[in-house]
Amino acid sequence: MDWQAIWLSVRLAVSTTLILLALGLPLAYWITFSRRRWKFLVEAVVSLPLVLPPTVLGFYVLLAIGPRSPAGALYARLTGGMLPFSFQGLLVASVLYSLPFTVQPVAAGFAAVDRRLLEASWCLGVSRLATFRRILVPLAIPGIATGAILSFAHTMGEFGVVLMVGGNIAGVTRTVSISIYDQVQALNYAAAGETSLFLLGLSFTVLALTYALQRRIWPVWPLS
Amino acid sequence: MRAVERMLLIALLSTGCTRVQPRKLTIAAAADLSFALDEVSRGFLQQYPAIDVQTAYGSSGNFYAQIRNHAPFDVFLSADVEYPRKLAGEGLAVADSLFVYALGRIVVWVPAESALDPATALRAAAVRHVAIANPQHAPYGRAAEAAMRSLGVYDSVEGKLVLGENVAQTLQFVESGAADVGIVALSLAIAPNVRDRGRYWQVPMEAYPKMEQGGIIVKESAAARAFRSWLLAPGGRGTLQRYGFYLPVN
Amino acid sequence: MAPELICRCRKRRASGFELDADLAIPLGEAAVTVLFGPSGSGKTTLLRLLAGLEEPDAGSISVGGRCWYDRSRGISLAPQQRRTGFLFQDYALFPHLTVAANVRYFARSERAERLMEAFGLAPLAGRLPGAISGGQQQRVALARALAADPALLLLDEPLSALDAAARLRMRHELRRMLVESGVPAIVVTHDRMEAVALGDWMAVMVEGRIRQAGPIQNVFRHPADAQVAESVGVENVLPGEIIGRDSGLLTVKVGSWYLQCVDAGDSGAVFVCIRAEEVTLSRELPHTSSARNRLSGRVRSVTLEGPLARVELDCGFPLMSVVTAQSAGEMQLQPGDELCAVIKATSVHLTAV
Repeated sequence: MDWQAIWLSVRLAVSTTLILLALGLPLAYWITFSRRRWKFLVEAVVSLPLVLPPTVLGFYVLLAIGPRSPAGALYARLTGGMLPFSFQGLLVASVLYSLPFTVQPVAAGFAAVDRRLLEASWCLGVSRLATFRRILVPLAIPGIATGAILSFAHTMGEFGVVLMVGGNIAGVTRTVSISIYDQVQALNYAAAGETSLFLLGLSFTVLALTYALQRRIWPVWPLS
Repeated sequence: MRAVERMLLIALLSTGCTRVQPRKLTIAAAADLSFALDEVSRGFLQQYPAIDVQTAYGSSGNFYAQIRNHAPFDVFLSADVEYPRKLAGEGLAVADSLFVYALGRIVVWVPAESALDPATALRAAAVRHVAIANPQHAPYGRAAEAAMRSLGVYDSVEGKLVLGENVAQTLQFVESGAADVGIVALSLAIAPNVRDRGRYWQVPMEAYPKMEQGGIIVKESAAARAFRSWLLAPGGRGTLQRYGFYLPVN
Repeated sequence: MAPELICRCRKRRASGFELDADLAIPLGEAAVTVLFGPSGSGKTTLLRLLAGLEEPDAGSISVGGRCWYDRSRGISLAPQQRRTGFLFQDYALFPHLTVAANVRYFARSERAERLMEAFGLAPLAGRLPGAISGGQQQRVALARALAADPALLLLDEPLSALDAAARLRMRHELRRMLVESGVPAIVVTHDRMEAVALGDWMAVMVEGRIRQAGPIQNVFRHPADAQVAESVGVENVLPGEIIGRDSGLLTVKVGSWYLQCVDAGDSGAVFVCIRAEEVTLSRELPHTSSARNRLSGRVRSVTLEGPLARVELDCGFPLMSVVTAQSAGEMQLQPGDELCAVIKATSVHLTAV
């Protein structure tokens, strides 16, 4: 069993989920409440990873973070490092790839909160940021939890994007799905089966635990 | 269905063939063969116009796994003779049809605009990432690793290695600028749409184990035999050679 | 100079509804202002504009000399800066916070604790809003709003979420709480009785416009026009014509009858407005000449409404009267009866056509 790859995937999934929560909550807030006419464009861009093959996304990400792109050059100047073939690069790709899996459930959760509660808070002199933190987020917890679980699960199982931008470096970018693929390619079917089974068990346990713990908060199946 | 087959049979006979041949030939070929094999097939079709050659390109390891599960291929052209050999050993292919059609060659490749000299690039200190195919399952990756060891650069390069899923992706890593230098197949480096994009240095053949690229007939048929013969005859060999697949000296 | 609310706002909705409100309220004199009008007249929209929850298309709002909004000067204070205590129709209590946490939402303060005590909320402190009654929820909402020390309270149909019995009980309690708070309040309602019970001052809104504003009795007694009259519940709005003027009294011809009323400077064609309560009934038929404003008519229907009876007469035109159920019983009113309707001259109000 490739414990190194499993541990890497867990770290990647946790980091991706945390970053997505930090990014996704404000973005979902904007999407839910903005009245801009071009909002639909942002919504479409956010949802693109749902439609695009991971290989296409990976292909663009590799170009975008490579040393020849402005973003890649800026990163190199700031940190002295390079994004391709690094954990950070993988993180960038994973965040983009799982963005809709966070933003959509969270936006749905926000939209389900009675807007007048927010207005009541504003009228009480409480800032928009504090209202977001004290009213909107607590009331949208089911949607936020759903978004976090989906992002975690989606990143754990991510393959195409990692294949395209990772470079398969053990301990850095060789995630569990890549490891399984390598094992299959190398005809180590027994090892591949073992790791797959472990991944299956881990994913099932995480999801089952989360749903069991959240049952009290969610009256209904949150994915439906 | 029967009627259709009968009509086709008549059509085949009327083209002047003296023997009834299968009308379709399905070939599973390693991805690096794509340019060469298209031309080989064109030549083959001129000789055997009644045979409809259909080629699927992909990873040799994947094809091996698929054929083990009875994928309907007639001929398997692998990047590594080991896969056909195993199939023959397992009784999943026609054992006496095993053949070697080329010896794989590897080159050190840098993009055209790179300041690096491909002959010395592996030793350059400025290099951050060296791309090779995954040695775990890609024959070119194994050859690259062996070559770096015998050239004495492996220890300094090891920490810089990034692994492509196959040689084509390895090339893409370098081409995109994400990696500085890569070790890829000669056939890829001189392929029509790659030729002008980079410079390469041929790694001496004695630096890595002989990479026999071999094939086998999976399902016996006259058409499969005909294709095998064509590939190994001077016409097919000449085409392969132009695309970088050098042949073993018999 | 008493602090005044001055609002001149226009707001057009995608639905085509247009609000064009021009309103001045002397907040210093009027503890509670009722914003009155039929459903869909734009009352809630105006309240939201005042609170800063929506922005007008044009206009200005100032309260006590402080500018809250001025389109031409580019001023638009956020709801947080206006500090209006806004009570939504269903109170919008934060469902995940306890009663105490709701009241302390703006800040944990002595003021909040005092309000909890004063509003009798201390025993409910640990409960969630979903677990208390509608009347209690209203008190929590009001305490929560007052705890933030607002400059102005805005209440949107504050009693509509309660059942009928609680509504009657809470009317007076709400007024008491509003008056005691010392914070001027604007209360939206479409219920005439609620308006009378709650308000000192009244603004009537019809079809997006403020049609009349003033002390509440004035508005009820002297509706500015037929629509105001109809909306504030002046049941009898009759077309008439002024045909004579003599020593401060006008003679108006309505149907085949002549009514006298106080001369307020009208002339020509007018609407005659008479509240149903001002029409008294008598079995004694009018003598032809002596009595003024005595009309004979035939009873068309009698409808009992709790302690009151609503009597519809036919005097050549329909005339509504409201009498006590008791007197209706004593007179044994039946449809078809011939009656005399008596209206004092001071109860006849004219508005221009």
